[in-house]
Amino acid sequence: MSTKLIELGPHQLALEEPMYFRVKLEGDRVADLDVLPGQVHRGMEHLVMRRNFYQNITLLERLCSLCSNSHPSTFCAAVEEVAGITIPERAEYLRAVADEIKRIASHLFCCAVQANVIGETALFRRVMEVREIMQRAKEAIYGNRMDLAANVIGGVRYDLSVEGAAYLARQMEAMKQPLDELYLQYSNNPALLVRMAGVGVLPRAAAREYAVVGPVARGCGIDYDVRKKSPYGAYDRLEFEVAVQEGGDVRARNLVRLAEARQSVSLIEQCLAQLPAGPLCADTLPEIPAGEAIAKSEAPRGELMYYLRTDGSDMPVRLKWRVPSYMNWDALKVMLKGEPVANIPLIVNSIDPCIACTDR
Amino acid sequence: MHIQAEENAIVPVRLFRINTGSCNGCDVELAVTSAVTEFDVEQLGCRYTEAAREADILLITGPLTVRAREEVLRLYAETPQDKVTVAVGVCPVSGGVFRDSYAVDGPLERHLPVDVNIPGCPPRPQALLAGIAEALELRRARREGGAPVRRALPVDNFPARGRLSYDAGSCVDCRICRHVCAAGAIRFEEGETGVSLTLWHNSCVFCGLCSHYCPTGALSVTGDWRLDHPAADAFRQVERGEVPYAPCVGCGEPIIPAAPQLLHAAFRRPNPDIERLKSLCPACRQQMSIGVPRR
Repeated sequence: MSTKLIELGPHQLALEEPMYFRVKLEGDRVADLDVLPGQVHRGMEHLVMRRNFYQNITLLERLCSLCSNSHPSTFCAAVEEVAGITIPERAEYLRAVADEIKRIASHLFCCAVQANVIGETALFRRVMEVREIMQRAKEAIYGNRMDLAANVIGGVRYDLSVEGAAYLARQMEAMKQPLDELYLQYSNNPALLVRMAGVGVLPRAAAREYAVVGPVARGCGIDYDVRKKSPYGAYDRLEFEVAVQEGGDVRARNLVRLAEARQSVSLIEQCLAQLPAGPLCADTLPEIPAGEAIAKSEAPRGELMYYLRTDGSDMPVRLKWRVPSYMNWDALKVMLKGEPVANIPLIVNSIDPCIACTDR
Repeated sequence: MHIQAEENAIVPVRLFRINTGSCNGCDVELAVTSAVTEFDVEQLGCRYTEAAREADILLITGPLTVRAREEVLRLYAETPQDKVTVAVGVCPVSGGVFRDSYAVDGPLERHLPVDVNIPGCPPRPQALLAGIAEALELRRARREGGAPVRRALPVDNFPARGRLSYDAGSCVDCRICRHVCAAGAIRFEEGETGVSLTLWHNSCVFCGLCSHYCPTGALSVTGDWRLDHPAADAFRQVERGEVPYAPCVGCGEPIIPAAPQLLHAAFRRPNPDIERLKSLCPACRQQMSIGVPRR
């Protein structure tokens, strides 16, 4: 059997981002692969240390635009921990609303791209049209379809008026039926099953070994969700079940995402129902003392961790991330081993890799 | 036997994308223009291609990282000579929030010529279509001769965050806007007659943090999102204004008087004594309140 090395880039893999792989093939099967990272390395660790806390909120929102609310909200949580700030209850709920809106849009984008990869163009367009309901809601409430600008240190800087909340509730109502329908499609549609079921399998033991997180882990039957394991913000007052699937394959990961998107709708409805009155953020600009803190959250791709160290000045002296895609893309080695070349784009997209987060 | 091409067959204009290290915001929105009917580039007679050599219009996103440069220039070299190059988002033009990083090698124009800019962070799909339409018009003008015509677009009243607007009349020169601006889009200059503010729309990321923290509402976010322009006009895309100096009524020293909006924010209902303070320099204010200037 012949062995050869090929290099695959974004144009072959249908990725929005420049991620390159060196794949070792035996015949037409994948024997091994190397990720060639760094194309999206913008020197974020360097930049955050040269920007003050306020500037970093906007900068970190642009660390990655698909999980763009998770970054500033987790960063603000770390700063608030250092400064001993308790954010108003209303702000906790509004942060959860922003996070869940982004989660729905992010998960749907991932499912859409995979449909496109396997040539299901009509389904791709359908999922993107459903996602548009969220995009429109984001623009109506926050003023931008990707970067919400919802967070400030000490709270949030957007509010939901009575009409705004009613509008969002209507958008959520409009999401329910399409999301249920998409779940059934990704679960039972024979054209999808033949490409996604049993493909790109990550056994549970390997999932633990590689410490994968988010939908990739939950698709392998690992019941781990930061919102449940160590609730932050309003999540200890919201009810939801962690979506878990046992298959460990591409199908399982997508079913986790679609179930989560449906749960996010319910979470947003709960937030709207419970939304307490009160201020949105602390009155004055807080002073940030010297200290260090870790904050974590459940981003759309999994557990996101921030380590922050401050020295009493208005700039961080150290900010370090552990982003979910870092562990998940390492596990691609296991998922791709023995798979035919034609399955590479699908499997790579099935982990919803975020290169912007990982390269930074 | 040969197959004859149909006389009137419309050949789509092909769009090719290069991501030079973006946060993927612009790229995801470009994907929307290939998937969502309302924003589909097919309404402009365009179609996306995955082959650089087929590019009629080249769409470039991201701040151009050092690591991506070689691959970007290789792809660029494969594109046809007569393509139109479009910088999508503010990153290729100015670096946006990633400016002055060791890992960023922009602006893009240092490496290759750009024809059209579409500011935004990311630009909304309507703005992308407007920018692509401008590129098409430029392409037509180049082929047929004549000047490109800028078409008016239907304006929706969606409350999107667009261009920032500056009202010098209510500015008190506190400069909190510059302090919180992640993109370095705001510059203050002290001149002979006053202090002027310049805000560059090709650096601004439209986050609105400046207007959030502005105590007097001098900076405000408008819904004007149509900012596409020929790349040659990049540095004309500014918002500008001057806060004039006025002499201190105590000593005549030129000062920036406090705007009524600031007094209102600080005191709710300012009385005549407070009103008088706004026309005094700090030294005269201290003289008036504690008898001596504070050291």
